[in-house]
Amino acid sequence: MLSLNFTDTKKEESKMSGIKLICGKELDRVFRDRKMIFSVFFLPVIIMVGIMSLVGNLSNNAQKDVEAHTSIVYIQNSPVGFPQFLKAADRDCKIYEMSDWEKATEMIKNGDADLLIKFPENFVDMVSGYKQGDVIPQIKTYYNPSEDYSRAAYDTISTGVLEAYRQSLLSQRVDNMEGLTVFTVNSDNPDMVIQDEEKAGGKILGMMLPYFVTILLFAGAMGIGTDMVAGEKERGTMASLLVSPIKRSSIVLGKVIALMIISGVSSVIYVGALVAFMPQMIGGADLGMNLTLNPKQIAMLAVLLVAIAFLYSAIIVLVSVFARTTKEASSYVMPVYMLILVLGMTTMFTTKTPGEWVYAVPIYNTSLALQGILTQEVTTMQYGVTLGMTLVFGAVLIGVIGKAFESEKVMSI
Amino acid sequence: MIEIKNLTKIYKLNKKQMKESKTTDTLKTAVDNLSLTARPGEIYGLLGPNGAGKTTTLRCISTIIKPTRGEIFVSGHEVKREPEKVREKIGFLTGDIKLDPQFSVDYMFNFFGRLHHIQEDKLAARKEELFTYFGIKDFSHKKIKELSTGMAQKAAIAVCLVHDPEIIIFDEPTNGLDVITARSVTDYLKKLKAEGKLVIISTHVMSEAEKICDRIGVIIDGQKVAEGTLGQILHDTNAEDLEDAFFELYRHQKGGK
Repeated sequence: MLSLNFTDTKKEESKMSGIKLICGKELDRVFRDRKMIFSVFFLPVIIMVGIMSLVGNLSNNAQKDVEAHTSIVYIQNSPVGFPQFLKAADRDCKIYEMSDWEKATEMIKNGDADLLIKFPENFVDMVSGYKQGDVIPQIKTYYNPSEDYSRAAYDTISTGVLEAYRQSLLSQRVDNMEGLTVFTVNSDNPDMVIQDEEKAGGKILGMMLPYFVTILLFAGAMGIGTDMVAGEKERGTMASLLVSPIKRSSIVLGKVIALMIISGVSSVIYVGALVAFMPQMIGGADLGMNLTLNPKQIAMLAVLLVAIAFLYSAIIVLVSVFARTTKEASSYVMPVYMLILVLGMTTMFTTKTPGEWVYAVPIYNTSLALQGILTQEVTTMQYGVTLGMTLVFGAVLIGVIGKAFESEKVMSI
Repeated sequence: MIEIKNLTKIYKLNKKQMKESKTTDTLKTAVDNLSLTARPGEIYGLLGPNGAGKTTTLRCISTIIKPTRGEIFVSGHEVKREPEKVREKIGFLTGDIKLDPQFSVDYMFNFFGRLHHIQEDKLAARKEELFTYFGIKDFSHKKIKELSTGMAQKAAIAVCLVHDPEIIIFDEPTNGLDVITARSVTDYLKKLKAEGKLVIISTHVMSEAEKICDRIGVIIDGQKVAEGTLGQILHDTNAEDLEDAFFELYRHQKGGK
């Protein structure tokens, strides 16, 4: 009995050393190669931060450009005093009298004019001579929502300036304006925004992080993972491992753990970069929010990211096992990547509180939990279920990969 | 010792393979009820044309694939029941098996040595011995992808012998090698035999089998059609050399065609 236990211990030690050796070799493949280190860990971050910063800055500049733009407004039947009123409200706008309706609408379509304001012909008389039962004069405005300048002019003038103009004419008709005002909303309430800055920051991160983690974690592991298995089969180097005195399950575990470490390291770098460069990525805008994380959030994120890295690694290795070449593996992995990407994206626009059972759905639950950690809304139960399901699902996939490694047909040997 | 008892290996063919083989059969018998015994201190050669079942037999012995029927014992360990034990005993090399091109010869030698649980000092001594014999020292620091075919093949042979195996299985050992490298390989096989190891090779090169094999098993269409020393085979077929003997056996197997 004693000798049996000794043998079992030796077997376990041998298995562990096999896993360690395979894992070490796969890590060396990446960490001993400077080009690989750069392309796996830093290039995606540089590209991500670069693209997002560019997009953020371009969108910020576009917004500033719209704000600085001098609105071109055409007015038909302009009442006396209205152009001055408009100028007073929007100093930079250029006002023209509209003589040709067709030409003016064409200019709006082409983006040469931003807003058309059409007053009734005898607007002043209709307002000043108004009696109960008369038709209420209507001012019509026309704009092009597909043009940013036109949309901005509509927002400022049609809903802002004209409302002020209405109030001004009304005050001429009614002596006591205050008597007509039942209530105001936030006319003097500078403190109307009440929010937890950490939660608000988390909301933004929570919206973007699951999406980026999915993209970067999966994409980072995808190239290396397909090469680890399908690449080895293609090059004929897998067979040399298969004739070594090592269990095939050890080869599988060694490779998956190595891929997990690589994608785990890359995810830490990616998430760190995402948090550090968030202000640049949203165009340098000051959102008045705290984008930092507390230690509990960091710990929960770290553990979950490791589990996600484990699951994604297992998925990539599983798909690669069934491919004969890296090219074939990449084409198999791509649909899986797209599916995972869509699941990651769904949480970006979720408003309803998901049911508890949703946290048992692998992959989707990780996006929800990541979001929940950042908004500090995830419960211990939800987090535990997500973590457990991710690890269990990953372990099941490892079992399937192990079986596939035993198959002559799958391994193409 | 290797003992093969009634080995049969049947492959399932997919549509593409059926089309390539111009057959409607979904199954292909690669090895058909083959039995043989190879003993320590000899070089046993499996001789046969392409597709005869030589490589399949060697792959079954080395546990890469599993026999459909029959048993194979390698130093007393059955290949299906104790594959890891079998792999400890053998060194297997074929043209299809390559070393990872991203690593150096040194790295791969150490890696496989550690997989075989060889102590570091013994590993260093073994490396010195094999690298010196095959003239690998000068390029051992280079990545496999930077080596010529011959250099890479030498490196692969050294790595496959890292654990000083009892049984050496070489599938087409000199295939693709230049004359000098091929000679050093065959000389090393003889050296291994002299040390009491069992060497089993597959080849379709008659001269190679004549020169280095103590016993030869001729396989045609997955079946062993002759076995013995060169002299016995020549005597049984009434031939002057192995090539003539092989053609005689081939004609007989194919029904005199």
